[in-house]
Amino acid sequence: MLRCHTLPQCRLLAQPGAGAGVLRRRVAPGGTARWGAAPRVSGVEASSPSRAAVEGGERPSMAERLRLGSLLEDGLSYKESFIVRCYEVGINKTATVETIANLLQEVGCNHAQSVGFSTDGFATTTTMRELGLIWVTNRMHIEIYKYPAWGDVVEIETWCQEDGRIGTRRDWILKDLANGEVIGRATSKWVMMNQNTRRLQRVSDEVRDEVFVHCPKAPRLAFPEENNGSLKKIPIRTDPAEHSRLGLVPRRADLDMNQHVNNVTYIGWVLESIPQDIIDSHELQTITLDYRRECQHDDIVDSLTYIEEGEERCTNGSAFAAPHPEEQRQFLHCLRFAGNGHEINRGRTVWRKLAR
Amino acid sequence: MTTSIAASAFFSGSPAPAPVASKNALGERPDSLDLRGIAAKPASSSAAVRAGKTRVHAAVPKVNGVKSAVADVEHETMSSPAPRTFYNQLPDWSMLLAAITTIFLAAEKQWTLLDWKPKRPDMLADTFGFGRIIHDGLLFRQNFSIRSYEIGADRTASIETLMNHLQETALNHVKSAGLLGDGFGSTPEMSKRDLFWVVSQMQAIVERYPCWGDTVEVDTWVGAHGKNGMRRDWHIRDSVTGHTILKATSKWVMMNKLTRRLARIPDEVRTEIEPYFFEHASIADEDNRELPKLTDLKSATVAKYVRTGLTPRWADLDINQHVNNVKYIGWILESAPISILEKHELASIVLDYKRECGRDSVLQSHTTVYTDCNNGSGETTLHCEHLLSLESGPTIVKARTMWRPKGTKPQEIMVPSSS
Repeated sequence: MLRCHTLPQCRLLAQPGAGAGVLRRRVAPGGTARWGAAPRVSGVEASSPSRAAVEGGERPSMAERLRLGSLLEDGLSYKESFIVRCYEVGINKTATVETIANLLQEVGCNHAQSVGFSTDGFATTTTMRELGLIWVTNRMHIEIYKYPAWGDVVEIETWCQEDGRIGTRRDWILKDLANGEVIGRATSKWVMMNQNTRRLQRVSDEVRDEVFVHCPKAPRLAFPEENNGSLKKIPIRTDPAEHSRLGLVPRRADLDMNQHVNNVTYIGWVLESIPQDIIDSHELQTITLDYRRECQHDDIVDSLTYIEEGEERCTNGSAFAAPHPEEQRQFLHCLRFAGNGHEINRGRTVWRKLAR
Repeated sequence: MTTSIAASAFFSGSPAPAPVASKNALGERPDSLDLRGIAAKPASSSAAVRAGKTRVHAAVPKVNGVKSAVADVEHETMSSPAPRTFYNQLPDWSMLLAAITTIFLAAEKQWTLLDWKPKRPDMLADTFGFGRIIHDGLLFRQNFSIRSYEIGADRTASIETLMNHLQETALNHVKSAGLLGDGFGSTPEMSKRDLFWVVSQMQAIVERYPCWGDTVEVDTWVGAHGKNGMRRDWHIRDSVTGHTILKATSKWVMMNKLTRRLARIPDEVRTEIEPYFFEHASIADEDNRELPKLTDLKSATVAKYVRTGLTPRWADLDINQHVNNVKYIGWILESAPISILEKHELASIVLDYKRECGRDSVLQSHTTVYTDCNNGSGETTLHCEHLLSLESGPTIVKARTMWRPKGTKPQEIMVPSSS
């Protein structure tokens, strides 16, 4: 699918003219080089590498075998398995949410590659490039019901769909390969923007034909239930935050090829201001992030956490969520520049009590 | 701080007698060594090792003074069985049988402790990259494909990614030998005594960096280090071309969890791990120079850089809430000037681990760059000394890095003779 989808580096910029021209992409300049080096025909005939290899009578290469991913038969979604490595596991002996987010990003990239989209790194179709259009992430929503442990194998299926006139959506479903149980779901929303004017753009018919040929036509949602958490608005809070962590600094490893901070780092920063007693007694069930601005290596970021109570409490009615609201804690978050206080991201997290 | 890196102590589940018999056999029959100087095992125990993923034939002959070229062992599985003679067969069988039975039972117990339920163990083990013990139990080998988020700004796998793979293979080695104790840093016998392995030094030489989608093959093994320490070595190759990507070695000491003091290796632990020792150095020419104190470095040809306010995030911590070792490398490089990182790639790194740090630490990273190194062909290689310390003073890690211009062929690196 659209490679751009899978590069959650794209961000909705609030300031016009911000960013030196080029909107940065994910930490996969290696991806750029690779796609650039192996141009493929766009379209279904450029099927997954292992499929092509098998058709050609060759055994899939080690990379393809290890990657263990391929388009599903109808070509409308992509599935891949990953084993959780020891360094991806956190203080609870289970994979961190950053690991999960990295895997979502990885499978999105591999999906794009498998449908043969070749790009110059900006994840655009030919028409989009001609018009100077790019995709930017608007919202990311991840729910995890059971965290995988070291050595577990996670199977992730992903697909893209249209979302209104200016948007597209990428959804994921995560399963434990051993027993087929759904352990998580995620969805992300992207909008098209003119990279020069920084204004949102509607998806024209030409672009739609190019981009969405590989998407399911009938709506397929990772979160089909009504009033689910992925749609809830995240309000802005003006009162002082109950918890905060100030002076967070991007590291070199947080930056992508265009020197902007990648998505997964923001998730880490949001978690920084969660108090220790919640971290010790609860695990993250849901995280929703709305992206507003991007930041770079020399920026300093403050992370603020507000307790969310009352009727605004998440009632997504999902069978997967913690059955008893008392066992859940819910917070609103804000990441902002330490200097001028402008908002970078805003978010919501829901935590369920650990059964220790 | 090292509990996040696998202890490489091994446990042989079988009783001691078997090794003795084999040693005699080995001493008597030097021609049973294959070309690589490693005694071949009878085929029966090889099969058992594969099935049980533990060391069945506990008799690892200690090949004193024979440094075999492990680098030649590219895609080998099991070496061919030794020629059988009457002498060989007689004393071994009964002990072997007893050993195999004991190990099988132990292995089955270990196997059920694993969460993963393979339906076709052999295929899945390799397919999902679990890795396997090879070369008569002396080596552990695992393949990794480089994921897109493991790529650095220069489109190749970062040194942190490669070090993460080292950590993963070490842990999987210990696990498939069936001797993970509590946490990641102790064997069961060590856990009983509140002991754990602590890494004291790490050295790595990188010859080339892999790209997204490449697959790498990592070999790892353990050996002795002095009288009271252990070493673990690694060799990473491109799994397709066989070219060396990285060679590394690490030194480990034993520490008491409660007193936080260094401890002697108890005899029980020694008996267990020594059968696994394989005396082969990954890095032929180790850098044993002492890492200087930064205050000693006063010279016109140095430039100093510092980055302060570095704090661990939740994702940096291991299950004991100590910072994972590999993260230190990222922090060390934080203060390296971007001009170096843009035009050079890391050729080698030596790390001395001094103390651990946790969630509430605030660190600063110092880099001193020597600008007066030249290699034989006149291209500048850079030499840096690093210090990572708490802002309150104590040193966490010291390091030395060598850098070569991007695009240099590996043979052109030269290590300067004086620090």
